[in-house]
Amino acid sequence: MNAAPLVAIRGLQKRFGAGPLVLDGINLEVGQGEFVSFIGPSGCGKSTLLRLIAGLTSASDGLITVDGTPPEKAREKMFFVFQDATLMPWRRVAENVELPLLLRGDAPGHRRERVARMLEVVGLSGAAEKFPWQLSGGMRMRVSIARALTVAPEILLLDEPFGALDEMTRDRLNEDLLAIRSRNSFTGFFVTHSVAEAVFLSSRIVVLGVNPGRVTAVIDVPFPYPRQPELRETPAFLRLLATTAQALRAVRS
Amino acid sequence: MSPSLRSRLSTYLLPAATAAALIVLWYVLKAVFQVPSFVLPAPHEILVAAWEERSFLWPAALVTVRGALLGFSAAVGVGFLLAMALGFSPRVKASLYPLILVLQMMPVTILAPIFVLWLGQGLPSIVAITFMIGFFPVVANTTMGFISVDRNLRELFVMCNATRAQEARYLRIPGAMPYFLTGMKIAGTLAPIGAIVGDFLAGSAQGGVGGIGYMTISYFSQLKTPALFATGLVACVMGFVFVGGVNWLHWRLLHLWHDSMVKKE
Ligand SMILES: Nc1ncnc2c1ncn2[C@@H]1O[C@H](COP(=O)(O)OP(=O)(O)O)[C@@H](O)[C@H]1O
Ligand SMILES: [Mg+2]
Repeated sequence: MNAAPLVAIRGLQKRFGAGPLVLDGINLEVGQGEFVSFIGPSGCGKSTLLRLIAGLTSASDGLITVDGTPPEKAREKMFFVFQDATLMPWRRVAENVELPLLLRGDAPGHRRERVARMLEVVGLSGAAEKFPWQLSGGMRMRVSIARALTVAPEILLLDEPFGALDEMTRDRLNEDLLAIRSRNSFTGFFVTHSVAEAVFLSSRIVVLGVNPGRVTAVIDVPFPYPRQPELRETPAFLRLLATTAQALRAVRS
Repeated sequence: MSPSLRSRLSTYLLPAATAAALIVLWYVLKAVFQVPSFVLPAPHEILVAAWEERSFLWPAALVTVRGALLGFSAAVGVGFLLAMALGFSPRVKASLYPLILVLQMMPVTILAPIFVLWLGQGLPSIVAITFMIGFFPVVANTTMGFISVDRNLRELFVMCNATRAQEARYLRIPGAMPYFLTGMKIAGTLAPIGAIVGDFLAGSAQGGVGGIGYMTISYFSQLKTPALFATGLVACVMGFVFVGGVNWLHWRLLHLWHDSMVKKE
């Protein structure tokens, strides 16, 4: 598994224009099949780091490679799930999910089939003909995830996808996300400010400090997949939760 | 009272009652101050005049509608294309938009004689004047729509390696629709007015009939005041039909999804 990392980040620096350093000295290697969470105070550059991996913005210094190539060249392998669901309000749910396939030029028959399957995966088959405004926040996020999954990305980048949802919905979606991952295996990068979410989902947690954003701790999460909801109540889970919370607190002060 | 009945009451009954009250007031004031009909005709006199002059007013209305439709279509079509150029290229916008603003500052009363000079009396000038009045709101609004695309949606298209044409077709144009339709609504309100003003300034009866603006001048010079008011009535009806048409289009295209239309509870 540790032959060549799927994503390699070396000596990464990022500043916007002549502004201050947002990210500094980031080194990270992520192998295929990992699920890495970035956690840190708001404004520490988590979203920026994710967008750098996606090739949506470029590094000021240092190197990022995705499967050995620059991120801009590896976009077909990746998909991004934005903080708000980022659906097109004029397209129905199915049409929103279909979009990446449409842009890729897939045949209509294949698109329909694939969309139906992905809506089933996220449990929204019944909402295919609805418009985004008719859905709850959690449902919209599911649509966004279904849209990302249509292209079967090798790498899925999620920027605080459940940040705006209530805790119950978020727990549900966390479980669903892991269930989806057990079938549609992808390497995950996940930004969150919820320690519990990070521990439950990840194989590794990267804690970022602020001004500039630096990796201050890397925490391995040893629980094997598939993970059951009950994991959240085990002493081992709670211990790791405490460790992570401490690491995060160390950054804040 | 059920809510739907109440809302129907306030949409139809209230304005109708207000109109009736105003008409009564009109009669009362005319009687009390003994205003002669060549200064202020009574409402029924206007209707009678409209009926008596129908053989002039109807063709005139058609001429004006034609001018308004052509000018409006040109304003919407050219406005959309220009907005696309402005919205897609910051450089085109920087070099062109100030000039469009300057052009917009030019009053129609000054442009009109220039058009007549270039295009002669008649339909082409009327269309040009209507176009000038209607095209700015379309350009301004639609350009705004092309520019204000959600940043995340644009990045979504980048992630999909979408071409510029795909981005235009699936993102920018549908996203700009509400803005475009708003501009179109304003242009639709202005078009009949533009055509009438155009006809007023550049109309002619030669080779057939003049439009409503031309009839206005004609009745005015003959002091046929009730008929003069009747042209106003015709103009109102035309305006309503125009705005109604545009509103219908607006509704057709947006009612399923746009915030301004969807019913939220
Ligand atoms: N496009 C941008 N232009 C300028 N500054 C930006 C831009 N995006 C983010 N920043 C700045 O970079 C810093 C990190 O932002 P971000 O990555 O969004 O933080 P986080 O997601 O951790 O809250 C912030 O100070 C923010 O103001
Ligand atoms: Mg962020």
